[in-house]
Amino acid sequence: MGIVAVFLEVVAVLSFMLTVSLSVVVGPDRLWTALNDLPDRLRMAARPIGLLVAVLAINSQVRTTGVDLSWIIGYNITQLLYSIEGTVVATLQSAVPGWLTLYFGYVYVYGYAFLLVFPLLAGLVAAERRYLRHTAFAYIINYTIGMFCYLLFVSYGPRNYAIVEPFLFDMLPRFQLLTSQVNANTNVFPSLHTSLSVTVALLAIRDHETFPKWTPVAVVLAVSIVLSTMILGIHWATDVVAGTVLAVFSVWAVSSDRVASLFGRCQSLFDRWRRG
Amino acid sequence: MASRSGGDVGVTRRSVVAGLTGGLAASSGCLSKIRALVGRSRPTTVSLSIKTLPVDQDPYAIAIARQLSAWLDAAGIQSTIQPITAEELYRQTLINHEYDVFVGQFPGSFTDPDAFYSLLHSTYSVESGMQNPFGYTNLLMDDLLERQRRETGRARTETATRIQRRLVQVCPFLVLGFPNVIRAARTDRFTGWNGVFDPSPVNLLGLNHTGDSATRLRATTPDDRPMANLNPLMSSYRGPSDITELLYDTLAYRYRGTLYPWAATNWEWTGEDPLELDVTLRDGLRWHDGTRLTASDAAFTYRLLQDTSLGSLSESVPTFRFRGRSSLVESVSAVDAVTVRIQFDDCSRQTARRVLTVPLLPEHIWTDRTNKATVSGVDVGVTTTDALVTSNIQPVGSGPFEFTSVTQGQTLVLEQFDDHFLQTSEETGLPSALADGPAFEEFELQFVGSDSSAVNLVANDEADVTALGVGPDLTSRIGRADDVSLNLDRSGAFYFVGFNTRRPPLTNPRFRNTLARLVDRRWLVESVFDGYVDPAVSPLAGTSWLPADLAWEPSNPVTEFLGSGGTVDPKRAREAFRAAGYRYNEQQRLLRS
Repeated sequence: MGIVAVFLEVVAVLSFMLTVSLSVVVGPDRLWTALNDLPDRLRMAARPIGLLVAVLAINSQVRTTGVDLSWIIGYNITQLLYSIEGTVVATLQSAVPGWLTLYFGYVYVYGYAFLLVFPLLAGLVAAERRYLRHTAFAYIINYTIGMFCYLLFVSYGPRNYAIVEPFLFDMLPRFQLLTSQVNANTNVFPSLHTSLSVTVALLAIRDHETFPKWTPVAVVLAVSIVLSTMILGIHWATDVVAGTVLAVFSVWAVSSDRVASLFGRCQSLFDRWRRG
Repeated sequence: MASRSGGDVGVTRRSVVAGLTGGLAASSGCLSKIRALVGRSRPTTVSLSIKTLPVDQDPYAIAIARQLSAWLDAAGIQSTIQPITAEELYRQTLINHEYDVFVGQFPGSFTDPDAFYSLLHSTYSVESGMQNPFGYTNLLMDDLLERQRRETGRARTETATRIQRRLVQVCPFLVLGFPNVIRAARTDRFTGWNGVFDPSPVNLLGLNHTGDSATRLRATTPDDRPMANLNPLMSSYRGPSDITELLYDTLAYRYRGTLYPWAATNWEWTGEDPLELDVTLRDGLRWHDGTRLTASDAAFTYRLLQDTSLGSLSESVPTFRFRGRSSLVESVSAVDAVTVRIQFDDCSRQTARRVLTVPLLPEHIWTDRTNKATVSGVDVGVTTTDALVTSNIQPVGSGPFEFTSVTQGQTLVLEQFDDHFLQTSEETGLPSALADGPAFEEFELQFVGSDSSAVNLVANDEADVTALGVGPDLTSRIGRADDVSLNLDRSGAFYFVGFNTRRPPLTNPRFRNTLARLVDRRWLVESVFDGYVDPAVSPLAGTSWLPADLAWEPSNPVTEFLGSGGTVDPKRAREAFRAAGYRYNEQQRLLRS
């Protein structure tokens, strides 16, 4: 199965999951109302989504070309991570029965993509403006800080340090084509899988009233994804901790009034400067 | 920077204390004793950094490194392991000599004792590249290395034996074993997979197709270096089974132990003192760009290998590879369009023949690469030439395959070169496996993230073969796949532990010799290689040059392990280091001095 086929498979599964979840979580009534003022909503979403896409584009560029730069300026912290935590990941991995690792393999790929896309879509069609904007900005914070960390720290995951079995690629080898397209194997600190999943879960808890049915789904998925990054031997526990810290920070930053007013002031200064 | 100034403060503080106490005690007459004590620097513990490849690029290296680290730890030596991507790893170790301990595979096979010359001769210890990467210097060894070049017959065998015995004593590097490389290959399009990548991918010419109209051979590799650089002179980009050997012809090619004329039709010894060889090229050889390949190109190649600046810089700038072979040449000239005359330094015919296996480079391309290398026109203060920094894409060689395209970090595509002598000549004098030419028109080398994806691609008929070896945990998956065979090839590219003997305490042969006894090859065979390795102590194991007393056996006294069952006995290790003159602190950590 080539890279295109794997990609199509993920897209197909993802579309199915999104369709089902949108109709259950958001509900047909709200979806129908949303469809009527779709142009308005799209206009409203254009800026945060556009910014997110731009950051993602820069991010993917940095992840490919930045790898070389990273070897020049970055610190190789693989050994440091190992000396901090030792064989925590290996212990965790051996505690999980084989059939369950398959679940974690699928969660790592499908669950993660679903968890990230759903709040954007749901926010687009059926929530107040804040929901989508906060989600997009939280993602942007995660990706930007993550990108700088990847430039500054060179580190291989436990899989490449030969302390664990490379579960994901042994069981579901087709996904390695995908993940190696998306990321270099030296970008493990912090775990962006963790930080983004935890971000979504925290936002779901914060805005519980908007989509009550979404909260338990988001939390269960996020916990599964966090565990999967370690069980599959991709990330160190330290990466996961750092990812969680990053998630908490990003959610705090988008929720904080002080950050918002600081941001507002910067914007007005910028506007004044532009007007001359 | 902060830590360094901290160190300075320590020294100053110490001297202040010394001054004060010294002043008070001056009258008491023990000033000299105080000076003797205060002037001494505090002993520091030994700490080594081990550099190696990550699992994705080498299935065994990091597991060896981690085992080695555990053994060192039992002996009271701290170590850190740094997994580094191939390109960067070889730049750090081979070019910049920034390492203590290196674990990995030797880039190529070792069939003649003269290969030791470039690897161990003192004169190369200051150069960058594959020549003496360990910085080993020993006049006695130099003498032996020079002698084996002149000697023949039994005398040479004896010298080769002495070199090997010395090697296992002084240990600039430790041979661990020769891997039985595991490859997955599809059998529905091509057959005859054994030995097609070892030692050279030129052996791919021996493949047969199954009658199917297969035209493209698709190989996978976890090594992304061939997609970034195709310069045959750059050691940091060239590994075992080097793909540039398909692009560049050599005058002679060694196939299954015999040296056959390749781009040459024959050679003749025309003088004894100095030794002189006339090599006649085949008729009608051409470079991939259509230019004629003449004797002048061959003569140019040898001059370039000796000095890539061709005398234009004040100091000669030697290549990073082929140093041993190019140093055999005293002078070289083109007698006519198809005859090269090579005069040799003091050496035997047997050794002299080795020069015929270097890649031929086109004069009209490489003559422009002899200038001092700069970064965008800025002199960065490093004396090197363009020839040693160019990525050489697109390469112009004369080999059986020519360059088609490359996608950085993804795919390299080569195609059959129609004007190659294998296509144009009727009678080549080569064994039929090679003479029949390739069974495929295109060769595609595809980068994959890891060995398990590589096997997956082969199993799903998206690739034909895994060009580099895969880990032993994948054998069952290869066995289960349809139309896929499991191929085992004993590689000449042995695994080894290399020591940077420029850095104390690795400068001390006693220290290295004791380190060597912390390595249990038998344990590595089982726990790391899963049995897919032939343990060895000499690079010449498996050749007739190996003396019987250096054949590997668990009970061999030269490799006696300071422990049992894969575990180092800390007490015995400490005794051994103490016997070598080293000391331990209260925490049982080995002290540097």
